[in-house]
Amino acid sequence: MSTKRISKELNDLAKDPITSFSAGPVGDDLFHWQASIMGPADSPYAGGVFFLSIHFPTDYPFKPPKISFTTKIYHPNINANGNICLDILKDQWSPALTLSKVLLSICSLLTDANPDDPLVPEIAHIYKTDRAKYEATAREWTKKYAV
Amino acid sequence: MEGYAYEYSHDSSMDSITFSDTEYPRNSYENKNPKERGISKDKLIKNTIVDHVLTQESEFDIDDNLLYSDDEYDEDYDDPYMNSSFIEPISTIKERKGLSKGSVPNLKYECLTTQNIFENMLAKVHHLQPIFNIPPEDILILLQHYDWNEERLLEVWTDRMDDLLIEIGINPSSGNISSSINGNGQMRSISDIIENKNSYCNNQTETNKDENEEYQIPNTRTRDISFKNNFFCTICCEEKSTETFSLECNHEYCISCYRHYIEDKLYTGNIINCMGCTLALKNDDIDKIMGHPSSTKLMLSSIKSFVSKHNRNYKWCPFADCNCIIHLKDTSSLPEYSRLHYSPFVKCINLHKFCFTCGFEIHAPADCIITNEWVKKARVESENLNWVLSHTKECPKCSVNIEKDGGCNHMVCSSCKYEFCWICEGDWAPHGNSFYQCTLYKNDDNNNNNNNSTNTNSITDVNKSLKKYTFYYKMFNEHEVSAKLDWKLGQNVGNKVKELQEKLGISWIEGQFLTDSIRMLNEGRTALKWSFAVAFYSDASHNLTKIFIDNQSLLSKAVEDLSELLQIKDPEIIMKRKTDFYNKTGYVENRTFALMECGRDLLCKGICKAN
Repeated sequence: MSTKRISKELNDLAKDPITSFSAGPVGDDLFHWQASIMGPADSPYAGGVFFLSIHFPTDYPFKPPKISFTTKIYHPNINANGNICLDILKDQWSPALTLSKVLLSICSLLTDANPDDPLVPEIAHIYKTDRAKYEATAREWTKKYAV
Repeated sequence: MEGYAYEYSHDSSMDSITFSDTEYPRNSYENKNPKERGISKDKLIKNTIVDHVLTQESEFDIDDNLLYSDDEYDEDYDDPYMNSSFIEPISTIKERKGLSKGSVPNLKYECLTTQNIFENMLAKVHHLQPIFNIPPEDILILLQHYDWNEERLLEVWTDRMDDLLIEIGINPSSGNISSSINGNGQMRSISDIIENKNSYCNNQTETNKDENEEYQIPNTRTRDISFKNNFFCTICCEEKSTETFSLECNHEYCISCYRHYIEDKLYTGNIINCMGCTLALKNDDIDKIMGHPSSTKLMLSSIKSFVSKHNRNYKWCPFADCNCIIHLKDTSSLPEYSRLHYSPFVKCINLHKFCFTCGFEIHAPADCIITNEWVKKARVESENLNWVLSHTKECPKCSVNIEKDGGCNHMVCSSCKYEFCWICEGDWAPHGNSFYQCTLYKNDDNNNNNNNSTNTNSITDVNKSLKKYTFYYKMFNEHEVSAKLDWKLGQNVGNKVKELQEKLGISWIEGQFLTDSIRMLNEGRTALKWSFAVAFYSDASHNLTKIFIDNQSLLSKAVEDLSELLQIKDPEIIMKRKTDFYNKTGYVENRTFALMECGRDLLCKGICKAN
């Protein structure tokens, strides 16, 4: 069942590619994908390409996919291991969501961080108190790791 | 912690067997306010959920309790328990006898079952119904969302009633087809992601509609299962002829996906929404989709999460398979309990007694701190010790392997007839007297060690402390095992009483001395067991500790005597020795109380303290 659903999502992505990201299986394993997200133009991540690793659970879509950044990124909701704090990847997941919806949400998370529910409190603190400093550091990291 | 507590489940559950169905007027729930029965809205709820929840206990009548207003409800609620003893905390036994040092206020608590809590919740629903003027099912969802916090709900309700209904996914005008458009239109207030989700799903369903247009029946019935040929489900991406389900929002999915989805969510205790939007599934819908009353599970998990969120006032009975919840309304006296080294022992409807603070069985004379230390230590050390101590013992004289399968510690080897003590494996003769010598920890090499150098001293100290611990743990364990065997004895006591009734024409009431004896034996054993934890942490050189150990010996003797008495099988002899039963039981009670008070004294004076 999950194979059918994942294939469908893959086909849909092939049919209507989305400009801000690309995604597809790694090798033959349909349950393990890799995705790359373009840093949104209106964010300090602009110009960077961020890679993510995606694992679909066997009972997908009833359980959310496991997604993590493999490229280092300076963001209040993404920690050093690349783990993402996003509600729709946890308790707010719904089987009606798709990977492309999730990746779009991650894109919008890059533009609009959620410092009130941070995964890295230090970055969230800087984000809230000194936005310029946050943006500078994020740009620096993007240049260093994602270009 | 919990795991440990479960180990004791057999000990005192004995009571539940001996007393069940006799003392407690469960039926007093019935026939209250019979005039007020039968409001149709209640029936609605009743049909959908209540019946399923209460299937095991048909004697419960929900309607009655449902109808109480809040104040009235509380008063009446206690009523059935008032006449019975379990509203009375165990600590009052001590107070009755007069206390030397300080006393604690009575604990006023009630024992609830999940059914009772559910009734409570339904009562709240009923209470709010005239204010909200929406179907009770919807109020249930609202309350669930607000953790059953009525006040908060009312506050938000008065502030923004319409928004709230949409936010929580209750369609304000359910049953009306146009509402789905309304509902989706107003979703803007929720987060972008959800809206994305919505629009995505809407598109999906629209395309579905296009694909399946010829099969589409005009959607006049909402919230229902329908059968579709060649239905393409966006969840499993399969096209098949299947039953489907959709709410007013028209997010339609195949029934097997819906079932899978609901099955996963039933244990969270949260409201289950449509997969495509925030519209909530009602209990009715859940049952319809699942084909059986599954919403019960959801309500149970909701109650479970309610109890664990309110764990200051609500505690689950820790005994295995017991679903009782103790509700302590006023926790202000708890610090007083711990200051005076009392423990707030409570008793559930199945007569399981446990400590409200730490969830262990009755652990007096030890307090919660000593108990925790002891259990922690036991967990670390017990793996080695259990291996050594468990299973059988050899007869000290002829070395035949002996398994103790019940009764007191006075053993007679069946092969060589040697009489010995099961605990110390010594000759029985010195035990028969007033003192139970083997409960004394002999600090034998007191003098020799003083001459040794400091280095060797520290090593022998370690050895000694382990030896000391082993000794106490062994004692603790022995009484634990004995208590379990007593529990078996307790299981048969009903038969014994019956036997007395049949053979000797003794009335049931008159035969109850046996039941009382068993119960006291069990209480004595439990107190004795935990007293070894206190003894272990006490300063052995202090005079009070010596008194405590003497008390221990006396109780040991009393318990063993009673245990031996209870081995008698012949009903005639039992009746002949009836006064003996009374006397020994009374003696055990007195000794138990004395030991508990002495232990508390040690704790209050700081002679016994955890490291």
